[in-house]
Amino acid sequence: MQTIISSLNKIGKILQRAIGSLNTIGFSTPFIVFIILIACAPLYIKNQYMLRLLVVSLYYGILAMAFDFTGGFINAVNFGYAGFVGLGSYTSALLVVYTGINPWLGLIIAMGVTASVGFLTGLLTLPLRGIYVSLMSWFVGLTLMALASALVEVTRGARGLVVSPIDESATILTHLYILLTLMMVIYFILRLIINSHIGLAFKAIGQNYDAACASGVNPTKYKLFNFTLSCACAGLLGGYYAHFVGIVTPDVMDTGHTMEVMALSYIGGSGSLLGGVFAAFLLLPIFDSLKQLMEYRLIIYGMLLILVMIFYPVGLNGLYQKFLQFIKRKKETKL
Amino acid sequence: MDLAIIQDLLMTGFLRGGLYASMAVGLALVFGVMNICHFAHGEYYVLGAYCAYFAFVTLGLNPILSLLVASVLSFLAGAISEKLLFYPLRKRSKGEWIMNAFLLTAGLSVVLQNLFRVFFGMKYRGITQFWKTTFHVLGMSLPADRIIAFFIAMVAIAALWLFLKKTRIGRAIRAVSQDENGAKLVGINLDRIQTLTFALGSMLAGLGGASMLSLSPAYPYAGNKPLISSWFVVTIVGLGNVPGAIVGGFIVGIFESVSFFFLGSGWQDVASLTLLILLLLFKPTGLFGTQIKSVWE
Repeated sequence: MQTIISSLNKIGKILQRAIGSLNTIGFSTPFIVFIILIACAPLYIKNQYMLRLLVVSLYYGILAMAFDFTGGFINAVNFGYAGFVGLGSYTSALLVVYTGINPWLGLIIAMGVTASVGFLTGLLTLPLRGIYVSLMSWFVGLTLMALASALVEVTRGARGLVVSPIDESATILTHLYILLTLMMVIYFILRLIINSHIGLAFKAIGQNYDAACASGVNPTKYKLFNFTLSCACAGLLGGYYAHFVGIVTPDVMDTGHTMEVMALSYIGGSGSLLGGVFAAFLLLPIFDSLKQLMEYRLIIYGMLLILVMIFYPVGLNGLYQKFLQFIKRKKETKL
Repeated sequence: MDLAIIQDLLMTGFLRGGLYASMAVGLALVFGVMNICHFAHGEYYVLGAYCAYFAFVTLGLNPILSLLVASVLSFLAGAISEKLLFYPLRKRSKGEWIMNAFLLTAGLSVVLQNLFRVFFGMKYRGITQFWKTTFHVLGMSLPADRIIAFFIAMVAIAALWLFLKKTRIGRAIRAVSQDENGAKLVGINLDRIQTLTFALGSMLAGLGGASMLSLSPAYPYAGNKPLISSWFVVTIVGLGNVPGAIVGGFIVGIFESVSFFFLGSGWQDVASLTLLILLLLFKPTGLFGTQIKSVWE
């Protein structure tokens, strides 16, 4: 009996230490619980449709996270985000359809292409201040969409390009686990950057541009790095989504989709990375379960965005931080 | 190359440029005075078009009266949305105002667009013409609506210019655009000026939408094209430059009609983007430059 208890204690200690070390690399306890919940989802969700919903929420969550990496840290809104996502979708889809390469290779190339377009867009506009990058990326996104609809011989225009799945034997569970892994990897990398001296420079640029310049930070360099990375994520996910859904239409580049991602990321709390993921898992299932809401979906997104911007700019992340403080205070009063 | 085609292209571009100029002036004014990158400008255009449609078709008013109704209603809508949204944001915003205001207008645009869709459906509501005449200009016969829409845009711009230059309130608006704190010091009521500016900008858009009703019918997403083009105008001439926006409107109007003729849709957008890229590379302050401090310091 004694040995069992002591060994349990030991396991508990090891777990605690593991969680502690995970916490230090940015995987907070709720996030770990969340990952485990998603990973075990097939055990308690048997419905294919619900699983698909999980995959879609995960996809939007990662997009919101990558969006927040630019929007929440260097304060530059990529208003053509859907265009970059669509560029990734089309690059991968066209490569696979016309050259028959491995979809995984297509994803990598899609990521590269999107990153380079993002890099060029940023190179032109990031040395300028403020809103120019939003305007320029918006124009780039619109142009990409117009091209995708106009080049009917190549992209089949609005009828849509049929794309083969990423793997012939891929089921919904494969997609779930691949996206879950992707989320963890992307989050890990982004968090690593945020926690390094580069992240410090990002925050400095986002919060006080002049002070950042005065302390010797070269804003353009950091902003460009940030913007390119965020676009690369968009391309990768867009490419993956094309293989997941099986069809690409120019509609994926619509500004409405940018709005959706943007709303999720700001509702989640800008500058929190994970806020967008939680917002996606909160809002997407709600919209889906209330079918009559689908028509009003964008109205609700827009209104939530407006309300959050005016009255509660810290978003869900702010709520969570308040909750943590509340618990801390409770503990202190008990002691 | 046929001379008639060139003439036709220039004429359509010029007439379209009138609309872009009046929309872009509204954008530039709102940006110059309030530092808002107004992204819902197209929605006020659609609102104006709907108002004119219902006034003209449902109520059977005469054209002038329906245009008047449309501009008054979009003026009111602008004033109400400023008081409801941007006023509280201004009082509460701590972070970067430009970015927050921009996001707010983006949200507003989506909300309004989808509200139009819910209320009016995806139906196109257009009319054949306001005025049943055609004009003959340089050997071309053009429907009166086109010419009159153009003149309405010009008159609106001229009226706005007179208002800004000659009246007390106009001077106050210009003062706010130059220096907010200084304007406050001499006793200008900032809140009222900002509401008025936003309402004026919305009115210009609404009037544009109303006068173009016979050429482009009212439907929920009708505002996207004019919005994109007028933003294009404002970006190439330099953000917040009001006189530049007028010239830029014509440049873009002619550029679009020529590039559309030679390249077709799709590649036309590429041509516009190329123009923008070249401009950003060689003259990033815009064609006519800008003195807005929050953008260029």
